[in-house]
Amino acid sequence: MDILAQLVVSGITVGMIYAVIAFGYQLTFATSETLNFGQGEALMVGALVGLTTINFLIGLNLGTLSAYLLMLPVIMAFGLLQGSIVEFLGVRKAIAIKSEAGWIMATIAIGIIIKNLAENIWGRDALKFPSPLAEASLQIGPVRIQPMEIAIVVGALLLMLAVELFNRRSIYGKAVVATANDRDAAGLMGINTKSVITFSYALSSMAAAFAGVLVAPITLTGASMGAVLGLKAFAVAIIGGLSSGIGLIVGGLILGITENLTGYYISSGYKDVPGLVLLLLVLSLKPSGLFGKATIKKV
Amino acid sequence: MLEVTNLSAGYGKVEVLHGLSIRIKPGQLVTLIGSNGAGKTTTLRALSGMIQPTAGSIKLRDTEIAGLNTHQVTKLGLAHSPEGRRVFSTLSVRDNLELGAFPRLTGARPKGDVQADIKRMFDMFPRLGERRDQLAGTLSGGEQQMLAMGRALMLNPDVLLLDEPSMGLAPKLVEDVFKTIRTLKQAKTTMLLVEQFAAAALDVADYGYVLENGRLSTEGEASKLRDDPAVKAAYLGQAH
Ligand SMILES: Nc1ncnc2c1ncn2[C@@H]1O[C@H](COP(=O)(O)OP(=O)(O)OP(=O)(O)O)[C@@H](O)[C@H]1O
Ligand SMILES: [Mg+2]
Repeated sequence: MDILAQLVVSGITVGMIYAVIAFGYQLTFATSETLNFGQGEALMVGALVGLTTINFLIGLNLGTLSAYLLMLPVIMAFGLLQGSIVEFLGVRKAIAIKSEAGWIMATIAIGIIIKNLAENIWGRDALKFPSPLAEASLQIGPVRIQPMEIAIVVGALLLMLAVELFNRRSIYGKAVVATANDRDAAGLMGINTKSVITFSYALSSMAAAFAGVLVAPITLTGASMGAVLGLKAFAVAIIGGLSSGIGLIVGGLILGITENLTGYYISSGYKDVPGLVLLLLVLSLKPSGLFGKATIKKV
Repeated sequence: MLEVTNLSAGYGKVEVLHGLSIRIKPGQLVTLIGSNGAGKTTTLRALSGMIQPTAGSIKLRDTEIAGLNTHQVTKLGLAHSPEGRRVFSTLSVRDNLELGAFPRLTGARPKGDVQADIKRMFDMFPRLGERRDQLAGTLSGGEQQMLAMGRALMLNPDVLLLDEPSMGLAPKLVEDVFKTIRTLKQAKTTMLLVEQFAAAALDVADYGYVLENGRLSTEGEASKLRDDPAVKAAYLGQAH
């Protein structure tokens, strides 16, 4: 029983990371119907830039926690910039000529380039990321939780909440929603929809970079950390539906927890199977995702 | 206010408009009539930069706007209430109206009092006021049409383009739409109205143009066009 609870709790942590990355997919899909397939690499490079930044700050005699907090705005700015570049180089032209697949190849290619760059700058080995919080686990009821795991869940929720609030409350956020609803009509409101799409790519990579430095302290950092996370988060986005925020969280949790349970009770070799089975089931039974609205084609 | 000279435009390689010249004076209500597929919507789309003209000039006040993007044209004061309403369905009625004032709220046009203008829209369209927090996608067709017009007016535009504001509405609601257009005209709003109800459009308009296969065939004072036998035979037979 205790082990079950323990597995569920750590599944939740991983699931929230999936949800944040999937949230990034959702942001760009809403405004442009395109995705950054280099989202996992955006997470990885965000984590590595975060690692260099935090080590630099610690070198200035800052405590690990203050260094971590100071590093956050740096990697968020980096993520915003990185996402804008991806959109500018890989997506903008494809959208302009209404290319069906151009952006897929372009975002994958940019992801591979980022990975190669990262291997050359940071090496191929996994690196330890300083943990801003105590690494000793807390005993809460039957389960042991690392403080950083709690920070992951809280941080992930805060990020999604902040974006949601921005979308609902600010006029710029409403412009993003308007662009997602009807790009032509948004243009008629005086909204520069091209900039909105660039912005959603920026925000998407920012979410990935943030997820990167959230998970880095409990895993390791390295050029190869992104690919699997990006792929799993893609499955979460499909399972949860590309139009539903709640769907992503639920999808993330389902995947994170089932992975952990399968890994323990069946075999760690089958860890990835239930998520993929679920993905296939959703694709064949409810392609818009568990929580997605069926797309209504305009006549 | 708006001066269009020899405007040509189309989709891809297909030219739909072949050299139109249209002129709208300040405070004037001009209507563009023509049968289905004549190119009325295409004309409005070319004016607001939704498609790029292949030739000709469009002057808003004294600024050349041909070749600009939609959002730039809007910021210069041209509002366009598009065919099919196109309200933002997952946003509330209020948010839709607020977005109409986007250039005012972001410094691209004089701000004025946006909240007071939203209230003014609720006075003009009481049904929208009652549904201010409802999502626009859940409004009836007539309500969405009012919202689309209100949203365009929130720009405080120099020129307002209206594409078939009565499309798909019950007769009673069509009357309401024309009442609103009359009110706007009294308030000296400069408008270009595209309508399927040609007779009703010519009733409210000052001046009219008849579009046939992408070319203007006739133009004149609206009262004269109404009595023109050719126009009568072609466009005033069916509706009203
Ligand atoms: N997006 C498009 N792509 C290609 N051709 C188009 C497009 N929109 C319209 N057309 C063509 O352009 C021509 C003019 O269409 P337009 O919509 O301007 O007509 P309209 O006068 O507004 O007609 P209606 O009264 O039916 O609204 C038609 O032949 C139409 O098929
Ligand atoms: Mg039309």
